[in-house]
Amino acid sequence: MTVFKTFLKVLNKNKFIVILYSVILVFFGFSNMQTKEENTNFVSSKPDLFLMNEDEEVGLTKHFIEYLDKNTNIKNIEKDQIDDALFYRDINYIIYIPKNFRQDLLNGKSPEIQVKSTGDYQASFAQLLLEKYIKVASIYQKMGFSEEEIIEQMNKTFDHKVNIEITSTLDTDRLENVVFYYNFLSYSMLAGCVYIVCLLLSSFKNEKIRKRTIISSMNDRKYNRILLFSNGLFALFLWLCYVVLSFVLLGDILLSTHGLLIVFNSFLFTICALTIAFVIGTIVSNKNAINGIVNVVALGSSFLCGAFVPMEWLPKFVLDIAHLLPSYWYIKTNELVKTIEKINIDTIRPILQNMGMLIVFIILMILITNFISHKKNRRN
Amino acid sequence: MQKTIEVKNLTKKYKTKKAVDHLSFSVLEGEILGLLGPNGSGKSTTINCILSLLHFDEGKITIFGKEMKPNAYTIKKEIGVVFQEVAVFDELTVIDNIDYFCGLYIKDKKIRKDYVMDAIKLVGLEEFTKYYPKQLSGGLLRRLNIACGISHKPKLIFFDEPTVAVDPQSRNNILDGIKTLREEGATIIYTTHYMEEVEQLCDRIIILDKGKVIASGTIDELKALSSIEEKISVEGIVLEKERIEEIRKWEYVEAVRYENSILVVTYKKGKNNLTDLMDYFREKKIEYNKIFSERPTLNDVFLELTGKELRDSYA
Repeated sequence: MTVFKTFLKVLNKNKFIVILYSVILVFFGFSNMQTKEENTNFVSSKPDLFLMNEDEEVGLTKHFIEYLDKNTNIKNIEKDQIDDALFYRDINYIIYIPKNFRQDLLNGKSPEIQVKSTGDYQASFAQLLLEKYIKVASIYQKMGFSEEEIIEQMNKTFDHKVNIEITSTLDTDRLENVVFYYNFLSYSMLAGCVYIVCLLLSSFKNEKIRKRTIISSMNDRKYNRILLFSNGLFALFLWLCYVVLSFVLLGDILLSTHGLLIVFNSFLFTICALTIAFVIGTIVSNKNAINGIVNVVALGSSFLCGAFVPMEWLPKFVLDIAHLLPSYWYIKTNELVKTIEKINIDTIRPILQNMGMLIVFIILMILITNFISHKKNRRN
Repeated sequence: MQKTIEVKNLTKKYKTKKAVDHLSFSVLEGEILGLLGPNGSGKSTTINCILSLLHFDEGKITIFGKEMKPNAYTIKKEIGVVFQEVAVFDELTVIDNIDYFCGLYIKDKKIRKDYVMDAIKLVGLEEFTKYYPKQLSGGLLRRLNIACGISHKPKLIFFDEPTVAVDPQSRNNILDGIKTLREEGATIIYTTHYMEEVEQLCDRIIILDKGKVIASGTIDELKALSSIEEKISVEGIVLEKERIEEIRKWEYVEAVRYENSILVVTYKKGKNNLTDLMDYFREKKIEYNKIFSERPTLNDVFLELTGKELRDSYA
């Protein structure tokens, strides 16, 4: 009990840093929820467009302008200010309708339309609208319809609507929040574990204090077991706190199969973070170096593996490197769980494979720790 | 008297170099044994071997009549060690540190509490129990280090230079504490570079050099080994080389040293050495500040036996 009690006292002296990591987690988890709620309703949007027509506004040309007017926001801008408007994103797209636009369409030619674009998703949408109109008009022209008939057929085509029904029972918005929180947890857990375990090990495994322990009547193996147990208990406690916090912040969705899978995944990651902390704690004995190491290990792997930035935004080479880190497999599992509609043997297989990778990392870290400890003991 | 420690034929090699070379000695119950030797003489290696912190190549070590091994926990229970380096937790207060190290030996809370308070009293840290190590001065830190090493009331205590870089007040406190521990029945092995402490504390002394015992005995026995009978020191004197050579040629003069305006003349034997020297200075009109005669110190014996200074006296 003496060693365990002292462990708690040393831990108590350093509780501030653990609280800080937890506050960061809660803050980001909570603020993410606030942001997400604003985006839960679908709002259709139209690209802002500037149109310059050099053709006569009759027939197909008139119909094209009406079509654009219906599907985009056509803006009136002075000619000399068009480029500025595009630069400052006041408009997303500029279409120059050429002089013989109508005639080219009726003759089966592709009209030479000039465009300017901001390159964003709104501009892409405007591009789609333009291409759609030209393609549909060309199809009806090739079928031998007259101008009036083409316009009539095009109106019918454009008015045609498809009903989409979402049958998913998945609460994607709340699940998105859960995944964000638990992805971010990888940083707080790794930083908290590495910081505290390294600090405690540097105190208890300090050469001078070790010497005093070895010459004491305390069995050395028992002493090491108590240290291992104490650190494990700390990691488990930290994980439980984070899980309880997630229930408070995110609610009963965590009791769903998806939620429980994510919670279990975080448990595996906690064990992994603990073993990583043991590897570092065995190598590093300088207390002043711990802060720097925490930043490199926790921040580095969190950035590389998508804890802060979604994985799909990360370049391929970064993700290739991230494969070597346990955080990648942990976050990948969370992201996978989010996309699975129904959990069965086929859908759970990739999740189990990722969890298996975490277990491989745990075994690897234990082996590395034993190897280093053995080498150190022999040297001493 | 019973032997508390018996070291027989102890040999420890680092690769091919022998740090301890067939060393044999014993420590009697209740005595304070001074272990002296220049740097690299094998003192620390010997202590580490006795404590099973190091494996050794040959020999046998028995403590309290039983063979000492790394897992000899019943023997370890009765041993306390005060290392030269301060080994405490920065995150724990004075009382918590002592309680922790005492707790490695004593499980019973009530007994431990009394032992911890006794240790605090012994080293005089009553006013600093709630202080953290970083808030303590060097001397107080050393006292804490001692309290952590002896709080479980061991029968055998090793002190490895406990007074290095300690202020006079703390040094006196530490030495008084060690005397109290001996009075309470502890057997003590004490290593230091300060001869004054050895003369003040130790019942018996072992001088090590190159891993071997080169002399052992009581202070008087060791002093008797010296070929010097008298030592005369003259301070604040300016001497020419010729004068030093003249003195060196005198009958009974063993050695003459002259450094930093201090002249030290050692004599094998003879009477009236002091008056002869004073007459010589008067005759040659040589001025000086202070002159005094003394019996050879332990440091002189050490110097004669090992050819090395142990260390300068108190700072």
